[in-house]
Amino acid sequence: MLKLLLKILKTPKQVIPETTFSVKTEEVVVLGEKIKDKVKKLFNGSLAIRQVDAGSDNACEQELVALSNAFYDIERFGIHFVASPKHADMLIVTGPVTRNMAEALRRAYDATPDPKIIIAVGDDAINGGIFKGSYATLDGIDSVIPVHYGIPGNPPSPKTILAHLLNILEKIEQNKIIKR
Amino acid sequence: MTIEINFFILIALYVCGAVGALLFRKNDQIANWWSGIMAIIGSLWGIVFAINSFLHYSKNIFTYDYSVFPLLNLSFHIDQLSAFFIFIISLIALFCSIYGIDYVKHFYKKYDLGVLGFFYHLFIAGMLLVVSATNGLLFLIAWEIMAVSSYFLVVYDRENKNNVDAGFLYLIMTHVGTAFIVLAFLIMYVFAGSFDFTAIKAGLVSMPDFFKNTIFVLALIGFGTKAGIIPVHIWLPSAHPAAPSHISALMSGVMIKTGIYMMIRIFFDMFSSIPLWWGIVVLIVGATSALLGVLYALTEHDLKRLLAYHSIENIGIILLGLGSSLIFYSLGNLTLAIFSLAAALFHILNHAVFKALLFLSAGSVISQTHTRNIEKYGGLIKYMPLTAFFFLIGSVAISGLPPFNGFFSEWMTFQSLLQGIASTDIFIKLIFVLAAGSLALTGGLALVCFVKVFGATFLARPRSEIVKQAKESSILFSLSMGALATICLIFGIASGYFGILLTKISASLNIFQNATLFFNESINGSLITPNGSATVSAPLWFIVFALILILVIFWVKFLINKNQIIKIGATWDCGINLNERMEITATGFSRSIVTIFSHILRPSIQHEVEYNDSEMRFLHKSKIVRLEIHDVYQTYFYQPIHKLISILSSKAKSIQSGNINIYILYILITLIFILFLL
Repeated sequence: MLKLLLKILKTPKQVIPETTFSVKTEEVVVLGEKIKDKVKKLFNGSLAIRQVDAGSDNACEQELVALSNAFYDIERFGIHFVASPKHADMLIVTGPVTRNMAEALRRAYDATPDPKIIIAVGDDAINGGIFKGSYATLDGIDSVIPVHYGIPGNPPSPKTILAHLLNILEKIEQNKIIKR
Repeated sequence: MTIEINFFILIALYVCGAVGALLFRKNDQIANWWSGIMAIIGSLWGIVFAINSFLHYSKNIFTYDYSVFPLLNLSFHIDQLSAFFIFIISLIALFCSIYGIDYVKHFYKKYDLGVLGFFYHLFIAGMLLVVSATNGLLFLIAWEIMAVSSYFLVVYDRENKNNVDAGFLYLIMTHVGTAFIVLAFLIMYVFAGSFDFTAIKAGLVSMPDFFKNTIFVLALIGFGTKAGIIPVHIWLPSAHPAAPSHISALMSGVMIKTGIYMMIRIFFDMFSSIPLWWGIVVLIVGATSALLGVLYALTEHDLKRLLAYHSIENIGIILLGLGSSLIFYSLGNLTLAIFSLAAALFHILNHAVFKALLFLSAGSVISQTHTRNIEKYGGLIKYMPLTAFFFLIGSVAISGLPPFNGFFSEWMTFQSLLQGIASTDIFIKLIFVLAAGSLALTGGLALVCFVKVFGATFLARPRSEIVKQAKESSILFSLSMGALATICLIFGIASGYFGILLTKISASLNIFQNATLFFNESINGSLITPNGSATVSAPLWFIVFALILILVIFWVKFLINKNQIIKIGATWDCGINLNERMEITATGFSRSIVTIFSHILRPSIQHEVEYNDSEMRFLHKSKIVRLEIHDVYQTYFYQPIHKLISILSSKAKSIQSGNINIYILYILITLIFILFLL
C-alpha cells in the first residue's frame, strides 16, 4: 500500500492543456501512420489497451468506442482494445473513481503486466472534473494508482485521443514515461 | 523338502496371525499391531518364497499330497503360475498391511479389531490356498474361506446400512458363482472319478465335446462372477466401497484375479484342446467388460465405486489377452498364444500394483474428508501434496501412459490383438479389429476418467469445508503408497525382463508343453513381439522422457525466462470474487461423454422446481436437478431373473398345501419312484 502511494507520488504526471495541442490541421490517416510506425518499433506491431471505467459518465467511452468504428478504425494502426488487463500493455482509465470502483481499479492495475502505462482520459479522470469534491468520488485516478499521462477534454474527441496517443508513444521512445 | 516346509510356514504364519488377533481382541492396540506385523512378516515370507521358487526351480516346484478323507486330499502343487500369484498376493498384502495398521485406528473402541485381524489373515491365507490347491474339494473350501472372510471384511463397518446391503449382495453373487463352479467340478468328477486336478486332467482327454463346452461356460460364469465381468459384475461396485480401504485394495487388486487364475488353470492347464469359439467368447466378454467398465466409471462420483468400475475395465483388458491367447492356440500359433498369455499375466501384476496404489491413496483422502463423493473435494493438492502425487502416479499408470507399468502390459495386449488382425480368416480378423478398437477406446476413456478424478479431487479450490481440515497422510500411509508408486515405475522400466519371465511362466503351462520355446531376447531391456514386428524399450523411453523433461526445464528456466521477472498475483476474476461454484465439476466434465454414449448409459435428468409464486412462474425458489444413470442390468437382467424365480417359487408353493394326506401321497410316489430307479 505504502509502495503504491510512493509510486503515485513519484510518477510524473503529464497533462497537456487542450489549447496548446491542436490537431485540427492533421488528418487521421497521417496521425495513424505515425502511430503505426511507433507501435511497430516499440511494441512489435501491436499495442494492447485495456479500458477501465472507474465510474465515468460514459462520455469518454463513447469517444473511445468511436476509435474502433469504420472511420477511425485504429486496429489498422496496430492498436486494439483487449478484454482483460492481463493482456494489456496500456491501461486507459476514465471517470473520477467512485468509491465503489476504487478497489476494482486497484485490482485491474495489479493484474496488468509490467511495465504498465496508465493513461487517464477525460477531465474527470485527471482531477475529478465536474465531480470534484463530491463525497462519492476520490477526485481522479492518481489518488488510487500512479498515472503516467492525462488526456484532457470533457470528453476528448477521438482525433485528440489519437494525437495524444502519438505523443505518448513519442514520450515512451524518449524514455520519459517508463524505463525501457 | 525344505520348500514344502517353507510353504507350510507361510500358511502357518497367517493362521497364527488370525488366531493371535482373536486372542488379543480385548486390547484394540495390541490386536491391531499383532495382526499388522504378522501380516507383514507373512507377506515378506511369501515374496521371498515366490522369488526363491522362481530362481531355483524350473517348472514344477513341489507337490504335496496327504489324504484325509476319501475325496478330500490335502494336496498342494506349486508351479510357476501359482508362484507368480503367490508373489502378487504377498506383494499387495505387504503394503496393504503396512497401510492397514494406521488406517484401522479410527475403528478403535468402535468395532472389534481382533475380528478384523482374524478375517484379514484368513482372507489372505484363503487366497494363497486357492492358488496352490490341486484338489477340487480343497480348492472349493479355500474358495469359500476367501469368499466368506472377505464378506465379513466388507460388512465390518456395520453401522452403515449400505455396507450391510452391499455385503449381502456380494455374498449372494459370490455364491451364485460358486454354484456354477461346483457344477463344473461335479461334471469333471463324473468323468475323472476324482477331484484331484491331475486325475481331472487325464479324464478330460476322453470327455465328449458337449461336456467340455459346458465346463467352459460354467467356469467362465462362475469365475467370471468373482473376476467381475459384465453382466455379473454388480457386486463389485457396491462391495469395494463398503470395505475399509486397504481391504478394497486387496479385493480389487488381488482377490478378483483369483477368478482369472482359475480360468487360466482350467483352460490352459487342464484342457488339451480348445475350440475356436471359446477364445472368441472370452475376447468378446473382455472387450465389453473393458468398454462398459470404463463408461460406468466415467459417470461415477463415488471415488471408490469409480475405482471398482475400473477394476471391471482392467479385468476386461486381461480377458482380451486371455481370449486372444485361446484363439491363437486353436489356430495353432503357439508362440503368439504364449505371448498373449504373458500380456494377460503382466496386466494382472500391473493392475494389482496400481489399483492397490489408487485404493490406498483414495483411502487416505477419505480418511481425511470422511466422504467418498468427489464433488465435495477439490484443492486437496494443497492440503495433501504427497498423496496427490502418489495418486497421480497411479492415475498415469492405470491410464496406460509410459514410463509406468500400465503402458507396457497394454502395449503387449495391443500387439497380440494386432497380430490377430493379420490372421487369414475374415471373421477372426473382424473380431480382432473390434477388440483392438474397443481396447483403444477404453484406454482413451480411462485417461479422460482419471483426468476427471484427479482434477475434481486435487485441483482448483476446495468445494466444501471438510477439505480445508484435511492434513497430509501419516508416515505409514505415505510409506506404503510411495513404495507402490516406486514399484509402478520399476515394473515399467524393467518391463523387458518381466516380458521374458512371464513368457517362461506361460510356456510352463500344460497346454504349451509341445511348443517350441522362444524367448524374445531383450535388447537393452526392451519388449519385443515374438516375430519381432514391434518393440518398445522401457529404459530408452525413460531416458527420452527424462531428457525431454530436463531440456524443457532448462529451456524455460534459462532461455525463455532469462530476463523475465515472475510476479505472482491473484487470478484475474473480472472483479467478481472467484468461488468454488465456478469450477467445473466431475459431473460437468463427464457430461459430454455421457451424452455421446447415452444409448448405452441411459442417463435420466429430473428437474424439480419450486416457485415463489405458483401463479407467476418466473422466480425460482429452489431448483434441484437430478442426474442418474439408468442401471440396465438391474432392469433387463436381474429383475427378470428375480421375477422368474418368484413365479417359480409361488408355483412350487402350491405343492405345500398343509394337508397331511397329500404329503403321505408324496412320500408314496417318491418311494415307488425310487424303487423303480433301483
